Amino acid sequence: MILVFGEEFERDVTYELVALAKRLGDYKVVVSEDFDDIDGDVIRVERLNWKVVKELHDRFKPEGVLFANAPSGMDLAPKLAGITGIPMVTNVIKLENGDRFKATSLTYGGKVLVDLEVDKPSIFVVNRGYYDPNEGRGTPKVERLDLDFEDDVELIEVVKPEEDVDISKAEVVVSVGRGIGDESNIELAKELAELLNGVVAGSRPIIDQGWLPKSRQVGRSGKTVTGKVYIALGISGATEHVEGVKAKNVIAVNTDRDAPIFRIAKVGVVADVNELLPVLIEKLREIKS
Amino acid sequence: MDMLLNRLKELTNNKYFQCIQCGTCGGSCPYGAYTPYTPRRMILAIRLGMVEDILNSNAQWLCTACQTCTSRCPSRIQITDGIIPALREKSLLEGKVPEELSTALINIMRYGNPFKESPMKRDGWAKELDFEVPTMMKKKSAEVLLLPECFGAYHRRCKQATKALAKVMKILEVDFAILGREERCTGDHVRLCGEFALFEDLMEKNMKVFRKYEFKYIVTHDAHAFNALKNFYGLNVLHHSQFLHDNLEKLKGMFNELDYTVTYHDSCYLGRKNGIYEEPREVIRSIPGVRFVEFKRNRENALCCGAGGGGIWLDSVMREFVKVRPAEDRVREAKEVGADVIVTGCVLDIPMFEDALKVTGLDGEIVVKDIAELVLEALEGG
Amino acid sequence: MRIGAIVRIVPDLVMGIEIEESEIVPFKYVPNERDEHALEEAVVFKEKTGGNLEVVGIVDDELRDDEAMEEALALAYAKGADSLKKIVLNRRTFDRREVARAIADHFKDYDVVMVGIQSIDSFAGYLGGILSGVLGYSYVGGVVGVDYDGGLIVQKELGGGVVGKFRVKTPAILGVVSAERPITFVPLVKLRQAMKEMKVEEIEVEVPDMGGIEVVRFYEPEKPEITLLEGDVEELADKLVEVFKSLSLV
Ligand SMILES: Cc1cc2nc3c(=O)[nH]c(=O)nc-3n(C[C@H](O)[C@H](O)[C@H](O)COP(=O)(O)OP(=O)(O)OC[C@H]3O[C@@H](n4cnc5c(N)ncnc54)[C@H](O)[C@@H]3O)c2cc1C
Ligand code: SF4
Ligand code: SF4
Repeated sequence: MILVFGEEFERDVTYELVALAKRLGDYKVVVSEDFDDIDGDVIRVERLNWKVVKELHDRFKPEGVLFANAPSGMDLAPKLAGITGIPMVTNVIKLENGDRFKATSLTYGGKVLVDLEVDKPSIFVVNRGYYDPNEGRGTPKVERLDLDFEDDVELIEVVKPEEDVDISKAEVVVSVGRGIGDESNIELAKELAELLNGVVAGSRPIIDQGWLPKSRQVGRSGKTVTGKVYIALGISGATEHVEGVKAKNVIAVNTDRDAPIFRIAKVGVVADVNELLPVLIEKLREIKS
Repeated sequence: MDMLLNRLKELTNNKYFQCIQCGTCGGSCPYGAYTPYTPRRMILAIRLGMVEDILNSNAQWLCTACQTCTSRCPSRIQITDGIIPALREKSLLEGKVPEELSTALINIMRYGNPFKESPMKRDGWAKELDFEVPTMMKKKSAEVLLLPECFGAYHRRCKQATKALAKVMKILEVDFAILGREERCTGDHVRLCGEFALFEDLMEKNMKVFRKYEFKYIVTHDAHAFNALKNFYGLNVLHHSQFLHDNLEKLKGMFNELDYTVTYHDSCYLGRKNGIYEEPREVIRSIPGVRFVEFKRNRENALCCGAGGGGIWLDSVMREFVKVRPAEDRVREAKEVGADVIVTGCVLDIPMFEDALKVTGLDGEIVVKDIAELVLEALEGG
Repeated sequence: MRIGAIVRIVPDLVMGIEIEESEIVPFKYVPNERDEHALEEAVVFKEKTGGNLEVVGIVDDELRDDEAMEEALALAYAKGADSLKKIVLNRRTFDRREVARAIADHFKDYDVVMVGIQSIDSFAGYLGGILSGVLGYSYVGGVVGVDYDGGLIVQKELGGGVVGKFRVKTPAILGVVSAERPITFVPLVKLRQAMKEMKVEEIEVEVPDMGGIEVVRFYEPEKPEITLLEGDVEELADKLVEVFKSLSLV
């Protein structure tokens, strides 16, 4: 049996975990918030902390435990591994069940894959974007468990950045990374976004530098874009960034043929974005007028 | 404090206290109107024991080492190579380093270049050429050692200038080679930023490599590398404008006509610092069809591009004080005198001015070319 | 306040690595970037609380004298660490459970231990979280700031650009993503001075064999099937316009 721990702060990845669990065998999904369309057995708990995780783990004795490579999964998984001593694999992009688990992990900054065989029981922290969340949707059978343990870690406040446009829901997102080189080039991206009826976003370095507000950040510590097209301009495609890219079509422009962003792109353009954009914008303007 | 005073004595030949408070320096400085501490006020504050006030104001970072103040100071005080780096050193030691600069310094220390690029890829630009550029490691000796320095080796745009220079050398049938992977930052910016130990470390490592090989002289298109190699490493080095000038008779016979109105930007480390004014001008003038116009502020009075002395990694600091960067003023000046090409002598100028052209919206009207690029164009026929 | 910080070294991806089926061969090592952030945050926290900071390098036996480890410890010393330790693992292991168990005894005397949330070469566990499980300490990862008001207040990234403030019981281990201030530059004079002056207590520990995870092979990710457009800018722009049209964006 597979025990899935839903992600507390980023609900969507929970569906991906469920999609994976379904392929592995019987499963139960533990969540601390209301989900009305998770397929299968759902255990609703008041809150998710390591004590709850430990208790449910002891109760169900699963052969495999799935967490998301996301804020709460990354805290709870290693804690459970530390307490129980059972094997733990991170950055999992593929997992199969058998006598042992067969796992593939993406490591070394996305430069290396490693195939592993893992004894049961074991813990997996699964990357986002490798399993179809829709496969995790369906009709839930919810059971409430009154598990409430005091934790040694207590949330006292959530600080939200002031909201403007919601890039996570925009159909077209034009996103800039460090490859744009200079703040002034953001204007080019904005122009492109405007011509395509989209919005502008950026990688973390861009936001860190204050070139765009925090609400425009794509990636693990930013937002997940889920629209139709994501245009990555001068973004290398670090794992943490790519985790937030769930748009159906990724178009990437990068000078580096080997840039990891091309690995998730449908169309890759090997070019200097600062040379390409002005020309592209010009052509789009012509078409519009 | 003692350390600072000792450093000041050493770097200014004990002259920093001879300041007569005339204010020439601040009046000459591109940042004079914005900075809380002009060199004059810095010296005054040091005298009054108010060094921390200077450091807290960040004024020590508001200098792009243009040498204007130093060249005009009636008391001949080494402001650029002395007062400023000494203050910066103190700042570094106190851990107060602007972030961009800090990153560049860490990278230079670790990888020998500010870009966090692999030293193995330092010859990447050469591989983009359709002929082989030999390395010293293979060749052991050559007449000319071509030294692209970090920007010339890694920076996308600056590499174009490096490649142009290599092509010109090939056309001239010069016996030249590069250090390739053995090359590392020569460290002039590092020194001007007050990281003296790193500068000496780089110099020591570079000298070891230079000593392994035989060459008559080094040619570089990086004015800061030129300055360091000439005045600190004590090596036989030519700026590429001098090299082109030395070969001018041969080149003239091969030049095709170009239809440009060209102005020439005197880089601080060619002009004010090292007195090279005429060679690049003569090279440009000898290209048929080229109309040469001077910037209003030229030669000793040329305005800095803003990259020097680590300025390329101080943009955020600058922006806090200065609304219009010097490079923006500079490209507007080029427009005023009717130039359609700004020819530069230091690779750092290129990204500075190209950026400024974008910022000022002059990018359609004016282009920036390294002098080697202009020469190559004339050789290849426009 | 007894503060600890863990520093590790990892293959330097800037210099490149060789991927062999049975192992990854690095050309050079560097301090793990997230650990550098953890160290920086630990220094900030020391400044905030006036606590005592001990920095612990963790390194495999074969790399015990690697200059990257020297550098990592010297940087820590130059930034204000009060004492330094180097824990030498008697054998190399990728399994963080084994590392955590090997070193756990040496982490019993801290109120707070900062460690990078992960290292680039990891695929079997996160050291900080596992160590907290072994020791029974509190754990928070994704840390971007730490304060003290008599108790620990930790800022953690929650995704979606949201930051959560947590009250955390000590002793605690914190998995740091990024320090609240940029990594400070240590000038070479200071680094050299630190290398000369620093005293590092070396501790050798035995790595237990817990088994359970077997590496079948390392390999390079396949380049996926994508349309890779190359050529001159004019051409590329035309092709992109076609792509936009096919997606009915224009
Ligand atoms: C826990 C954690 C959370 C994180 N969260 C996030 C997050 O939410 N979002 C995020 O983005 N990052 C996040 N990061 C950081 C992430 O690891 C990367 O550092 C970051 O995404 C890199 O941004 P970038 O692609 O813009 O820059 P770089 O990696 O520097 O990439 C720049 C790219 O531009 C290309 N390029 C350069 N010049 C040009 C040019 N002229 N034209 C075209 N292309 C060019 C280069 O080849 C390169 O591929 C996180 C990291 C951690 C550890
Ligand atoms: S120009 Fe020289 S003498 Fe005059 S104030 Fe400046 S430093 Fe002093
Ligand atoms: S060197 Fe140039 S920028 Fe620096 S203080 Fe002197 S005049 Fe100003």
